[in-house]
Amino acid sequence: MNRIHLHIPSDLLFERVVRASAAELGTTMGFSDERIEDLKLAVSEAVTNAIEHGNSGKRTASVEVIFSLDQDKLEIEIIDSGPGVQSFNTDRRVVEEDNLEAGMLRGFGMYLISELVDQYEVQSSSEGTCLKLRIFRPNKPS
Amino acid sequence: MSDVSTVIKREELGDVAILRILTNSVDAVSASAIEQASSNMNPITVLDFADVAFINSAGISVLLKFVVAARKEGHKIFCIHVSPHHQKIFKMVEMTRFMPIIEEQDLAAYVDANGAQAPSS
Repeated sequence: MNRIHLHIPSDLLFERVVRASAAELGTTMGFSDERIEDLKLAVSEAVTNAIEHGNSGKRTASVEVIFSLDQDKLEIEIIDSGPGVQSFNTDRRVVEEDNLEAGMLRGFGMYLISELVDQYEVQSSSEGTCLKLRIFRPNKPS
Repeated sequence: MSDVSTVIKREELGDVAILRILTNSVDAVSASAIEQASSNMNPITVLDFADVAFINSAGISVLLKFVVAARKEGHKIFCIHVSPHHQKIFKMVEMTRFMPIIEEQDLAAYVDANGAQAPSS
């Protein structure tokens, strides 16, 4: 297994660096173009969550990202150093009239992640939250 | 913060404003510059995604600000040149209920049918 570690400051500009890395690794893994787009979006949402909510945007707090390339899957761990969360809400979240009127225009992130990756899991404690995403390599024809 | 002119090219065609998004990433970084264009909407505003390679939920949020601004004025908003992947994402969050995707060639027919001044070209 190959592992790649990235540490980024809690600055949303660097979310783009992680996203670009994910795309390159998706290509290396032989994912389709559409699957790479899914991967980029899921990683983007997870890193944005870690920066904005986990680390509350404190620039000095870093986000750690670990890519693990296995025979059958790409696993990405996104780890913040925040105070932890009780739960993640992955309920289906769509644009609704009431939310538009109330100016509630965010909150799609976890729903998108849950739909776009093959597996995900959350581990959270008072020392931080780790969101683990997995996308499996497509089966090769025998 | 980037100036709006670096991320949006505005074209006026009668009652129609076409806002061509120039940045390839509609995300938290580009959102504030893109949002500036939502303060100047025409009766029909069209967002052109031809150059857009990536949109995340922060980007969707700023696009919804255009929807909110249009609805406040009773204006219409559409989008064109949306990639198949972004069409999938828009469908997942039901964005297209509020910002329908149309074909560019259908735009003139739409404005004619709805009594707005059609684009001259």
